[in-house]
Amino acid sequence: MPTEYTRLVAALKALTQGESPDPVITLPMAEDEWNTRPDTVSYGMVRLDFEVDALRGDNVKKATAYEGSVDLYSLQRDGAGWVPLITGALTEYCEGAWSLNTHMYERETGLFHWEWAFQVEG
Amino acid sequence: MAFSIQVDGLDELMRQLGKLEDGGLGIAAQGLYEGAGVMADKVSSAVQGIATEPFKYAKGGKKRKPSPEEKAILANAKTGVAKFRKTGVNVQTSVGMQSSGYAQLGKVTKPIPQIANAINSGTSFMQKQPFFRKATSQAKAQATAAIENKIQEEFEKLDIG
Repeated sequence: MPTEYTRLVAALKALTQGESPDPVITLPMAEDEWNTRPDTVSYGMVRLDFEVDALRGDNVKKATAYEGSVDLYSLQRDGAGWVPLITGALTEYCEGAWSLNTHMYERETGLFHWEWAFQVEG
Repeated sequence: MAFSIQVDGLDELMRQLGKLEDGGLGIAAQGLYEGAGVMADKVSSAVQGIATEPFKYAKGGKKRKPSPEEKAILANAKTGVAKFRKTGVNVQTSVGMQSSGYAQLGKVTKPIPQIANAINSGTSFMQKQPFFRKATSQAKAQATAAIENKIQEEFEKLDIG
């Protein structure tokens, strides 16, 4: 796994809101997919989707660019405050190589969905 | 975009492009058409690679794959290149599903772009398969090369030394 990606996953899993003595809220974040949807107001997913390109030389790959995505599902229209925290982590660990790919509302479940695509070097 | 024209300097380049009626915008559009075609072909191929399973309601918060019917709707919608938009010194286009209409899916009617987006980005009850993002990201280098080659070819035809 690319180091940048591993660091991003760790940072996303460590995202919290609130301070002690108030309850600290964490965002349930799965790598890849949730087998069963968590019963929470908001939850997230992060995964490495595919290899975009590679720099080759001396019959080996010198560097590889991967593209991945982060998803946030929330019952609240503003993402319950998680949107700026996720985009902040993307900016810090992907050096700005990310963009909001989609923002949808699911009528069936009442969930708002954000998807960000990012690129990392491995 | 890295295509090269042998000139002595920027003034010379401007003088040469000035000889063309539209300042080279027509040639740029021809190049863009080639590149957009490469992208559209890649997306069409990617649709064929979408993994499916027979439709079932995603109960209990579990996820499902797209159904063969959903995949067939995308395959029949065809991927195409939008009408070119020329603004000043720029020319732009988009690649997407040609049919922006609706499709019958079981008892419901859904917009085709919505079905494509649900498969590409996933939903809370459908597995994500980023076929569009993967095709366009991986085809960038090939599309760029096609644009460069076409522009080079058209400039050689002009012989505006």
